[in-house]
Amino acid sequence: MKRQDDGSRSERAARMILGAAVITAAVLTGAIFVYMLVLSFPLFTHGQVFRVLIQDWAPLQGRYGIRPMIGASLALSSGALALAIPASLGCAAFVTIFGRPKPAFFVRRFVQTMTSIPTVVYGFVGVFLVVPTVRDLVQAGSGRCLLSALLVLALMITPTMVLFFIDAMESVPKEYVLAASALGAGPAEKFLWVVLPCARAGLITGVLLAFGRAFGDTLISLMLAGNAAVFPSSLFHSARTLTAHIALVIAADFQSLEFASIFVCGVVLYAVNAAVALAAWSLRSRLLENRP
Amino acid sequence: MKTAARFFLLKIWAAGSALAVLSGAGAVVGFVIWRGAPAVRLSLLFGSTPPWDAVLGRVPVFDGLWPAVVGTVAVVLLAVGFAVPMGLAAGIYLAEFARGRTKKMLSVAFDILAGIPSIVIGLFGFSLSLALHRFVSVRIGPCLVLSGFCLGILVLPYLIRAVQSALEGVPLSLRLTALSLGAHRIQNLWHVLLPSSLNAIATGVILAIGRCAEDTAVILLTGAVALAGMPRSLLENFEALPFYIYYVSSQYTSSEELERGFGAALLLLTLSLGLYLVALSIRRRVGRRAFYGR
Amino acid sequence: MKTRTWLFTILCVALCLPAGEVFAGAYDAFQGKEGTIKISGGTAHIPVMQALAKEIMTRHPGVRITIAGGGSGVGIKQVGEGLVDIGNSGRKPTDEEIAAYNLKVHQWALDGVAVVVHPQNPVKSLSLQQVQAIFAGTVTNWKEVGGPDKAIHVFTRDEASGTREVFWEKALKKGPVAATADVVPSNGAMKTAVATDPGAIGYMSVGHMDASVAAVTLDGVTPSVETVRNGTYAVSRGLYSNTKGEPSALVKAFLDTLYSPEGRAIIEAQGFIPVP
Repeated sequence: MKRQDDGSRSERAARMILGAAVITAAVLTGAIFVYMLVLSFPLFTHGQVFRVLIQDWAPLQGRYGIRPMIGASLALSSGALALAIPASLGCAAFVTIFGRPKPAFFVRRFVQTMTSIPTVVYGFVGVFLVVPTVRDLVQAGSGRCLLSALLVLALMITPTMVLFFIDAMESVPKEYVLAASALGAGPAEKFLWVVLPCARAGLITGVLLAFGRAFGDTLISLMLAGNAAVFPSSLFHSARTLTAHIALVIAADFQSLEFASIFVCGVVLYAVNAAVALAAWSLRSRLLENRP
Repeated sequence: MKTAARFFLLKIWAAGSALAVLSGAGAVVGFVIWRGAPAVRLSLLFGSTPPWDAVLGRVPVFDGLWPAVVGTVAVVLLAVGFAVPMGLAAGIYLAEFARGRTKKMLSVAFDILAGIPSIVIGLFGFSLSLALHRFVSVRIGPCLVLSGFCLGILVLPYLIRAVQSALEGVPLSLRLTALSLGAHRIQNLWHVLLPSSLNAIATGVILAIGRCAEDTAVILLTGAVALAGMPRSLLENFEALPFYIYYVSSQYTSSEELERGFGAALLLLTLSLGLYLVALSIRRRVGRRAFYGR
Repeated sequence: MKTRTWLFTILCVALCLPAGEVFAGAYDAFQGKEGTIKISGGTAHIPVMQALAKEIMTRHPGVRITIAGGGSGVGIKQVGEGLVDIGNSGRKPTDEEIAAYNLKVHQWALDGVAVVVHPQNPVKSLSLQQVQAIFAGTVTNWKEVGGPDKAIHVFTRDEASGTREVFWEKALKKGPVAATADVVPSNGAMKTAVATDPGAIGYMSVGHMDASVAAVTLDGVTPSVETVRNGTYAVSRGLYSNTKGEPSALVKAFLDTLYSPEGRAIIEAQGFIPVP
């Protein structure tokens, strides 16, 4: 009897302590967002709420719009995805279906290990390898442009995506694949008509998370994209992403509207990534419910 | 016939993609090794200072990476020191005590936390230091302990996830044995569940260390500088390897400095890969969750 | 034995440096002092600050000096907010800034802002109008200014840069800078960018120039230490270190060193003109 009491008392204490930690962590998540909102307040009180999002960046003329940066961030991350999705899908297909066991295992381990290459190293190699190459190839611009950043960024998000894709493909129930075989389908048909459709939700999750990661990356765009604050109109033009904008303007006068604008960037980045996380989460939970 | 052609095309595409990814990453790693290897000698770390004096902190090191290495180690220790207990506690709560709606809400919150770009966390830390500077003490500014705290926030969600999935992965039979013998839940947690998931948790911690050591955007905004010497106080600026690499990429003034930059890149790459391989050897199958977003 | 090796090392280091010709007299001001000096701001200042910090910290390990860049705007704001002890700027702080933050301005060098191109670029001389047109984005090919048929890559600096402000005021006469220009965050980065790009044009501190970039003769005047010193090259500016109110004893010792013969030798060795 006494033991029971002991147990419930220590359980209560543990619950309190652990609960405090979990609440702190959860509050931190919200606090960061609220903090960004509050500090972007100066721009809001200047009646520039929506103008900030659609205006150009011309601080000398009193315009603090972040439209060019939003454009650059979107262009860069979707461009990187456009390049990385086919490659990642192919790579995952190689590992799960088309490759022979030994090379497939090697590629899997290799891609897993790739996730540990530091971002700043990607950027560093980009500066000394990709930028000069792009400059020599396109002969129009300094080589610091969307294209350079896009190439490196695509490489950086690929391993995450490949691993998600492999997971999604491998979790397709074996019975389905066997049934397709029984009906006379070859590996190509099984991949196209069974594995891909069945793994759809998992594939989309991988793409979403890779997009979030590309959208939030700072170093690669800061080091390779050229940082001109104009709306991107060509792959070969210099561009500045939201993240790079924060890193560049952090130095401004703390009371100025310029400084406030970087918190608007923070709000946008936070909101987009939170939306991505929510979408991925709801996809995943639906996936779990449907699984037999 | 058509089937065979389709199969052939798909196979080419799959193999081509795998080759492209392999050669892309191979080019990055190869380039760093090719340009960084010549820089690898003792003076890469210590410059012209006698190594022993530098290690003991008796003579300041210039033209060497030693202060940056020590700075990185210090900031990672601070981050892990903050994030591991937090992550452990929150992960245990999530796996063992949270149920139903609460658990769902918390999971969503940590998914969002995991998705916050590191520069936004850096910005949060930077503005936090401004507020503390104004309202608490003028001695506070961007500094070592602030960077540690922010890096801790960055890896906290990974740790929570690692702990949670480790505990939830304990087989039901093992979970019930001690309980059926009369142990209460806390005893079961302490003596059975945690020890049996220690490997998975350790893997998570090591991956978190790697993540802390390589992140640049957070420390860029919260206190890393080009020259600071060995870290001596929590409230001062510090040097760090990833920041040094970023700094050199745009501001190198001589070929020696550039070579040192490549040396630093090689060092950081080796460190990251090394930590990863250690994690891998602890647990053959590293959970996919660990790679979640950045 | 160990002390002797140590002394020998210092002696070697001191002899290797141009500043080593003089006695260590100026550094005695740090005798017995301990503490940290935080410096940030102007990126043109960094080589001088680093060289000086190295001399001081090697002799007096109790003194710590941290140096960050950021640009002149950052230097002024951070010292004003009390985040650093010395905020460097490559332009004189405005009267409003001085009043708002109670700044003490210490000028210790004269520097020019030169237009630079890649060393292989045959264009060695431009008029002020041509430079303005290039930076405004109306001239976009080197052949329009007598060079090869090659696109011009314009590099500019970030908003916090004092170099940009001086260049914009004195060379561009406050004319526009094309929004498509690449933005780099420091003088060092500008040199790297121009030195590695055959089509580049940019502007940077004269003190930072070396053989990896070529200075462009502006309206017939070649930017150099000489022409800046005698005033014929008009795009020049002072280098300033600012403190909030009177500097502390430690910071004052640092600033005094800048004006000592040893400090002046370092400033000169880095390509600037010591003043007064």
